[in-house]
Amino acid sequence: MSWSMDMDKRDHELSSAEPTFTCELDDNVEWLRKTDIFSTIPLERLRIYALMCNRRRFRQGDFLFRQGQPDDKGYLILSGKVQMVREYRDHSVIVQDLEPGAFFGGLALLADIRRLFGARAATDVEVLYIDRETFRKILRQFPELTEKILDVMIKRIVSMEEKILEKHLHECVLE
Amino acid sequence: MIHKKPLWYWALTRCRGLQALLLILIVLTIFFRVFPLEMQKRIVNDAIRFRKIDALYLYCALYLGAVVLAGIFKYAINVIQGYIGQRILYELRTGLYRHIVRLPIPFYRRTAPGMVISSVTGELASVGDFLGGAIAVPAVNVLTLLTFGVYMFTLNPLLAVLSVAIYPFEILLIPMLQKRFNRLNSERVTTTRKLSNVVGEAISGIQEIHANAGYALEARKVDRLAKTLLDLRHRMNLYRYGIKFTNNFFQSLGPFLLFLIGGYLSITGRFSLGALVAFLSAYEKLYDPWKELMEFYQGYQDARVAYRRIQEAFDVEPEFPLKPSDRAPVALQGAVTVQDLMFEVEDRVRLLDQVSLQVSPGERVALVGLSGSGKSTLAMVMAQLYRYTQGHVYVDQWELKDLTKIDVTPHLGFVSQYPFIFDGTLKENIVYGRQAALLNGNPLPGDETGEPPLEEILRTLEFVGLTEDVLRFGLNTVLDEAKEKALGERIVRLRQQFRDQWSDALQDAVEFFDAKTFLDYSSVAVNIIFGYPVDGGRPCEILPLRPRFRRFLKEVELEEPLVRLGLDVVNRTVPLLRDLRDDPFFFRQSPIALEEMDTFQEIYEHYGAAPLERLPPSVQEVLLGLALRVVPGKHKMVVVPRELKEAILKSRSLFQQYCLQRDPNAFVYYSDTAYLGARTLLENILFGRLKEEDSWAWARITEAVVDLLKRENLFHTVLEIGLDFPVGSKGDRLSGGQKQKVGIARAFLKHPRILIMDEATASLDMASQNRIQQFLDGEIRGKITVISVAHRLETIRDYDKIAVMKSGRIVEIGRYDELVEKKGLFYELVHGHG
Ligand SMILES: Nc1ncnc2c1ncn2[C@@H]1O[C@H](COP(=O)(O)OP(=O)(O)O)[C@@H](O)[C@H]1O
Ligand SMILES: [Mg+2]
Repeated sequence: MSWSMDMDKRDHELSSAEPTFTCELDDNVEWLRKTDIFSTIPLERLRIYALMCNRRRFRQGDFLFRQGQPDDKGYLILSGKVQMVREYRDHSVIVQDLEPGAFFGGLALLADIRRLFGARAATDVEVLYIDRETFRKILRQFPELTEKILDVMIKRIVSMEEKILEKHLHECVLE
Repeated sequence: MIHKKPLWYWALTRCRGLQALLLILIVLTIFFRVFPLEMQKRIVNDAIRFRKIDALYLYCALYLGAVVLAGIFKYAINVIQGYIGQRILYELRTGLYRHIVRLPIPFYRRTAPGMVISSVTGELASVGDFLGGAIAVPAVNVLTLLTFGVYMFTLNPLLAVLSVAIYPFEILLIPMLQKRFNRLNSERVTTTRKLSNVVGEAISGIQEIHANAGYALEARKVDRLAKTLLDLRHRMNLYRYGIKFTNNFFQSLGPFLLFLIGGYLSITGRFSLGALVAFLSAYEKLYDPWKELMEFYQGYQDARVAYRRIQEAFDVEPEFPLKPSDRAPVALQGAVTVQDLMFEVEDRVRLLDQVSLQVSPGERVALVGLSGSGKSTLAMVMAQLYRYTQGHVYVDQWELKDLTKIDVTPHLGFVSQYPFIFDGTLKENIVYGRQAALLNGNPLPGDETGEPPLEEILRTLEFVGLTEDVLRFGLNTVLDEAKEKALGERIVRLRQQFRDQWSDALQDAVEFFDAKTFLDYSSVAVNIIFGYPVDGGRPCEILPLRPRFRRFLKEVELEEPLVRLGLDVVNRTVPLLRDLRDDPFFFRQSPIALEEMDTFQEIYEHYGAAPLERLPPSVQEVLLGLALRVVPGKHKMVVVPRELKEAILKSRSLFQQYCLQRDPNAFVYYSDTAYLGARTLLENILFGRLKEEDSWAWARITEAVVDLLKRENLFHTVLEIGLDFPVGSKGDRLSGGQKQKVGIARAFLKHPRILIMDEATASLDMASQNRIQQFLDGEIRGKITVISVAHRLETIRDYDKIAVMKSGRIVEIGRYDELVEKKGLFYELVHGHG
């Protein structure tokens, strides 16, 4: 599921290169803060998410995950570009291009689902990812966060559904 | 059957030679015990009275000789007696255990493991202690008593009669007390067994206890039993010491009479003084054998209680004999016919009812149905794990009930949903069935030497999809010295090839060791040493304690910055994790372990903002230790300043010089051309470390490593090493999926004609499930009868038969399409699952 449709595409001056005096954790916090999902979380809790995330690089053309496969992670792009690809029987469509700062794949953090899209590295990419087990363990420690996160996630889903519905309506009218 | 024999049987029939020797020794000892008394008498009456110095010397020498010999014989008697007891205990214990493991599964549904354990260990031990002396002790003591009695009688019949006259009272009184004691003791056995159960259960359920903080709840269970035990033990003591008291009391009445009457006789001149002295000594000597007899009596009673309780507990027969007595074991071909099968458990609960099913050799049959419908029960009956009450199960032409274990087990593989994994190595677990057949005297061809050939095991690993896991275990092994010698050089030779071919491609997954760069994925300590201590142990733990190392750090001006780093780590880590102490999960990426949080929180609160000079030396040492174990790439909350990294890097060569001068054999330094004994196989191949233990990093390097190992003919060697992976108690070091694969491999390796699987692939991921399905569909199709309790209906599409179960009956039977078309229960199951 991609609810990365309305991604904020501000410029990110932060690079993933490690500056002398901020640690990787602080750096992760900066990235996470700029996403809609994590922006509502108080800083001291966000630091725990930042601690439990990991980084990983993908080569251009590698798939982060494939359509139809189970995958239990949410991703935040640190550098490079990622394409969301929907495959049909005889062709595939690039649904969206994502840039640094985009957070995607997050529904997998809430439930065991199969991916509706594939995600492919359009360039060499570095991402920050967190897996479902970790994500849930943190929520279990701080249940008050659940509401905030669910709120944002549901809004994302609704806005996406809206778009799909509008598109369908549009198509119907045309026909 | 061992548990059916009476207690005395063991004492009377075992170690007869030794027992005879024992009796001879006993008679001799008794002689040497009485002999000094006679000497005593003669010393007084003869030597002293008539002032015969020579006679005095002679008698004293004889006295001494007799005493020494008596002592030596007593020692020999004790040793022999102890040995006999332990011999019999050994036989009892192994025999009982052999019986216990054969008891039927339903027996273990109502029997708790703690009770069995406590029977085989503690309770039986008391029986053994008793049996060692069962003949010797009464023999010695009764004989001693008699001898002394007779001796006393010859000295003075009247006195002798008087001094033994009190014993009959004791003999009446003591058994009454003992009977009460026994009743309490039996209760104690029951309570102790319960206690073992509660403790055993707590250990198996420790996860649940932690998850609910059920500490007080568990403690309360033990508390209750412990209190009962306290009470029982106390009451038992009242009786036990009551018996002692009675005994002592009567015993001390004796001298009183002797002094009174003996004194009178002696004064009136009717009894010599020497005889009185001897008589008193003799009377005193009665005390020991009498006391030992009493103790023997109590020991006998304890042993009787324990033995009876064990007999009662295990008075059950195995459901199936082990070996056929009148024919050779049969070879099964794989046909299974179930006819009007009925299976009842206690209270006439009918778990299977009128079940009929026909399976030809090589057919594949699935059992499906809602949970609780009896699938597992049917599977277990067909696997000869339960004895059925009515109806028939035929394998080929034989009634399953009448076949022995040795007929069935080699040809029948059974995989349960949660296969049990024994503590030991992975290999031991996989070859379990083969090994068992070998010990039962019915080995598969090729096994006569002891183990299935490696290739066969590896092939099985491949079928069940364990190869990659085993490879990983192998690569993560730190070799022991013997293997290291054989393999080390070849591994070192791989390094260069690996570098040339793969170093660029794996840059993001591996950090290669390099003397000239700072290693972000090794600890600060390793960065300084660039090696490891020869004596083992982690550098970051042992180094801070060594004054020589501290001096070095001072010399190169690293000590202060490292302590500062340690304090910085504390300041960054403690506030982050202090609220998360109830879940060890969050401490995986922390340099401070969960157990250490208290220490470091204290440091944080007291010295967090203090200047370094104010830190007491002990705190400095702790902080230094912390700094040394920091792995910058892993501990994300930490930042090691660039200048510090450079300084550490610079110290590296200085450290080697420093050590080479003072203690050249303390460390092994990383060297491109030597095998690193303290590092894993993988690290030796890479000459580096994985940056993350995550699966993707493994996936990345696996291809490269496998390619290389295969080329160098080392792949099987590494797998063989991986097979020696210790799986931990109950296989705790394996994942759920891995355990299932081990269970399947164990069954496959027997090359069974019939394979029964009870949701055997339920914990596997899709890929592994498909792989095993492919094997069943391809390789062995038609050769092995497969009966499979299926949890995923799409895997049984082309099975020959599907039996749909409901409440213990088979309600539909047919092929997939037929059943779907029928729109019955199966149709519902398919759509419910869909
Ligand atoms: N030893 C037993 N004593 C009493 N009831 C049992 C015993 N074993 C299983 N059962 C009961 O028998 C029923 C069938 O169990 P089972 O064969 O495990 O079903 P399934 O494998 O289809 O889920 C269940 O209701 C279970 O509670
Ligand atoms: Mg079952």
